[in-house]
Amino acid sequence: MNFFRDIWNSIVRRDSLSTDKGKSELVFLNVWLHIHPAKVKKEHLRFRHTFYLGFITFFLFIILVTTGIALMCYYRPYPSQAYQDMKDLQFVVFLGPFIRGMHRWAAHLMVICVFLHMCRVFFTGSYKKPRQFNWVIGVLLLLLTLGLSFTGYLLPWDQLAYWAITVGTNIGSYAPLVGGQLRELLLGGHTVGQAALIRFYVLHVAVLPGLVGLLTIVHFWRVRKDGGLSRPLWKLERKPVEELVTIGAPAEPAALRVSSAAQSKTYGLMEVVTGKPIFETVSPDEEEDTVFAYPYAFLRESIALMGTVVGLMVISILYHAPLEELANPAKTPNPAKAPWYFLGLQELVSHSALVGGVVAPALMVLALLAVPYIDRNPSRRLRERKWALWLFSAFVVANLVLIIIGTFFRGPGWAFIPPWVHVVAGAE
Amino acid sequence: MSRRLSIAFFALSVAALVLMIVAIRQASTPGWKDYQRTFLQLEAQGEPNAAAKAEVLDTPLAIHQVMLPGLQRVDRCTTCHLGVDDPTMKNAPEPFRYHQGLGPHASTRFGCTICHGGQGLATTVKDAHGNVPFWPNPLLPADYVRASCGRCHKEGNIPGVPELTEGRHLFETEGCHGCHKLDGVGGSIGPDLSEEGASERSPQWLENHFLNPAKVSPGSAMPNFHFTRQQARDLTYYMLSLTNQQMGTYYSSFNQIPSAGYGRQLFVQKDCIVCHAIGGVGGKTGPDLLDVTKRHSLEWLDEQLVNPQNVYPGSSMPEFDLDTNARKALVAFLNSATSDDAKAILSGNGHALNPEDAAIAAGSLDFGRFGCAGCHGANLQGGVPNPNAQGEEVPSLLHLSSDYTKDDVVEIIRNGRTPPLDNAKGPTPPLYMPAWKNMLSNEDIQQIVAFLWSKQQKASDSW
Repeated sequence: MNFFRDIWNSIVRRDSLSTDKGKSELVFLNVWLHIHPAKVKKEHLRFRHTFYLGFITFFLFIILVTTGIALMCYYRPYPSQAYQDMKDLQFVVFLGPFIRGMHRWAAHLMVICVFLHMCRVFFTGSYKKPRQFNWVIGVLLLLLTLGLSFTGYLLPWDQLAYWAITVGTNIGSYAPLVGGQLRELLLGGHTVGQAALIRFYVLHVAVLPGLVGLLTIVHFWRVRKDGGLSRPLWKLERKPVEELVTIGAPAEPAALRVSSAAQSKTYGLMEVVTGKPIFETVSPDEEEDTVFAYPYAFLRESIALMGTVVGLMVISILYHAPLEELANPAKTPNPAKAPWYFLGLQELVSHSALVGGVVAPALMVLALLAVPYIDRNPSRRLRERKWALWLFSAFVVANLVLIIIGTFFRGPGWAFIPPWVHVVAGAE
Repeated sequence: MSRRLSIAFFALSVAALVLMIVAIRQASTPGWKDYQRTFLQLEAQGEPNAAAKAEVLDTPLAIHQVMLPGLQRVDRCTTCHLGVDDPTMKNAPEPFRYHQGLGPHASTRFGCTICHGGQGLATTVKDAHGNVPFWPNPLLPADYVRASCGRCHKEGNIPGVPELTEGRHLFETEGCHGCHKLDGVGGSIGPDLSEEGASERSPQWLENHFLNPAKVSPGSAMPNFHFTRQQARDLTYYMLSLTNQQMGTYYSSFNQIPSAGYGRQLFVQKDCIVCHAIGGVGGKTGPDLLDVTKRHSLEWLDEQLVNPQNVYPGSSMPEFDLDTNARKALVAFLNSATSDDAKAILSGNGHALNPEDAAIAAGSLDFGRFGCAGCHGANLQGGVPNPNAQGEEVPSLLHLSSDYTKDDVVEIIRNGRTPPLDNAKGPTPPLYMPAWKNMLSNEDIQQIVAFLWSKQQKASDSW
C-alpha cells in the first residue's frame, strides 16, 4: 500500500485535516483555494450579510462556460447553419435542450445576480475606502456581463435574436459622431448579417469571457487584499470604532500603530521588501471571531454552488429555451424588442433618441463608475447616508419600472398596451 | 449549525443527482423510439421463423434522416414514417404506411416536406407536423399537397394538377401583376407574392381571401374579382406553390416537363407561326417546319434554338432564350405538328399576323401579364372602386384617343400618375398608376399602347 500512499502524499502535501495546521495548509498550499484566507471571520459567513450573490454570480459564470463549451461542439456561426444547429440541439442532440436551457437561463440569471450583487454592495456601503477601485472593476464586470448576454442573444439566428440585435445596435448608433461607426464596427456592415454573426460569436466565446475571467481574478484578489469582505453593518453599529487595516493600502500612521502584545497579534510579511513594512494587526477579540475556512466557509460556498446548480436544473427541465422562426430580414416583427435588460433604454429611446440612446446610458455608466469617488461620506451606516440611499434607490426603481414598461406594456407600434389586453395583429 | 448545513449540502447534492437522472431519462426516451419499436414488431410479424424475427427486433433504434442539400433541407420524417418506401407496408396503419404513386419522386431523393410542408428537422409528433408556434409552414391539408408540384414544375402543364395551370393562367390574365410583385415584376400596391408559398397564411385563408378580400382582411385595397369557388382554389394552389427558394440542379431541371403540349404552348407564345409555316400554313419568312425533326438531328435542332446565328450566319431568327426543357418541348411538338395544328393556332389568333397585328397581340398579352387588366379591366372597361379618386373608380381606357395622343399615354405608363382627387381634402385613393419604366421595355410599352389604340371606341360612337 506504500505505493499508493506515496502517490497520494505526492499530490496532497498537507497535514491531516483534523489538525489546525492541516486545515490552514489545505487553503494556502492549494492554488485554487488560496484566494481564501485560512481563517475567515464568522460575521462574513452570515447569509444576510451578502446573500452569497457574488459567489452565485461566479458559479453561474462557471456553469455558463461549461455549458457554453458543450454548445460550441454543435454550433456553426454561419447564418444558414446556425439555425439548423439550434434545431438539431432541440431535436437530436442528446441532452441538447437541457444544456441549451441551462446556458440560456443561467445567462439571464447572471445579469440579475450581478445587478443584485451591485445593489447589496451599495446598500452596505462596501465600495468605500479602501475598496473604491474594486467597485469600478465590479461595474466593468456588470457591463461585460451585459455584453456577453447581448452577443449571445444573436447566435440562435431566429427572429427573436435577429430583431433584438437590430434594435439593440440601433440604440447604440444614436451616440453622436461615433455611434454609427461603432455600430458598423460591431456588425461588420450596415445590417445584421453574416459578418455580424461571426463578430458576435468571437466576442461571445473568446474576447468577453476572457476579459470577464481576468477581471474576476482581479476582483477577488482585491477583495482579499482589502481585508476580506466589508464588515456587516450590524457589527458597525456595535463597535463603531473598529476599522480594519488593509494589507497594501496606503499607509496611515494611526492604522499601523502597534498594540501591546497582550492585546493583539501582529501578522507580518516575512520577506525583505522595500518601503514600509506591511502588517496586519488583529485584536484577540477578533481572533476569537474567526473560524477556519475549512469546513465553515467551504461548506457554505458549496451549498451556494449546489443551490445554484439545482435551481438551474429545475428551470431547464421545466422550461425550454425559446427558439422562434428563422431570422428574416424582410419581416419585421411589431414591436421589435431589444433583450429585456435593454428595454428600459428602448423605452427611453421611444421618447427621445438623444436622451434615451446617448445621454441616459452614458450618464448611468459614468455615475456608476464614479460612485465611490463622488460619495466622499466615510460613514457606512445607513442613517448617515440618506442622500446616497435615496439616489441609488431611485436609480434602481427607475430602471426596474422602465424595463417592466418596455417588457410588458408595449405592443405593436410601441403603443401602451397592458399585458391583459390581447391585441390581434391586423392582416395585410 | 454546521450539522444542519452538512445536511443541506447533502440534500442539494442528492437533488442535483436526481435531476440529472430525470434529464437523462427525458433525453433517452423520446417518442420516436416507441414508434420504431412498434414498426419493428410489425415487420417481425412477416418473418418466417423465430431467428429472423429476433434479428428484426434487434435492429438498433436510430434517427433516420434524408439529407437534401439540393432542396436546402434535412427531413427526419422517416424516423417514424418507416414504411414510406416499403410496398409490403401498403396496408399498415399510419405512421407506417407505404406512400403510393410517388413515381420518380422517391423519398430518398425528395424527402417529404418539399411537398407536404411541416418541420423536417423535428423528431416529435407535434413539432414535426408543424402545428407549433414559430413554424410558419405546418403540414398542408391533403387537398392542397398537389399545389407543391409547382415549387419545382414552374411552367407548363403538370399532369394531374389542372388547378396549378389554371391558377397561373388566372394570375396572368386577371391582372394580378398590376398590384402584386412576383419575382421582381409587378406593382407595389399589394404585398409581394414571390414567397407566398412560405408565408404562414393557411390555404383556407387564401381561398376565402380570393372569394371576398374585404371580408378576410378589412380595409384591403384588393378588388373583389368575383371568382368562382374553383377559381379561388386554383389561385390558392398557385399561391401555395410560390417560393423563391433555389432548387438544386437535379430538381430545377424538372421545372418544365418537355411535353409536346408545353411545346405547342411555347410555339403559340413565341409567335413562331409569324415566320414559320407548318405544311404550308403560316408565315413564309423562315423555312416550313413540317417534318423538320426528320430532316435534322435533335442536336442540330437544339443548337438552332440556342443560337440560330451559329448554324446559319445571317439568319433572321431571333434568340428566344429558351432553357433546355423548353427546347426539348418545342422539338417534341414539331415532331408531330401538322398543317392542322398551324390552322388551329392561326384561327386562335383570329387572323394571320402582320407586324402591326403582332404588336397588338403582344400588347394584349402584356396588358394581362403585367397586370393592367387588374384595375382597368380585361376589356378596358375600368370600374374598380377607388374611393376619393375622380369618378370614385379606376377610369375606363376605351376613350383614350379623344383626350390623349399615343405619346401622352406612353409617358403616363412610363412615369405613372396619382389619380386626381374627387375631394381635395379627402384621403389619398388606395389605387394609383405605378411608374412602369423600370419594369417594362419601351417596346413593351409601345405594344401595350398599340393594343389600347386597337380597342378605342370613336368618340362619335358614344353620341
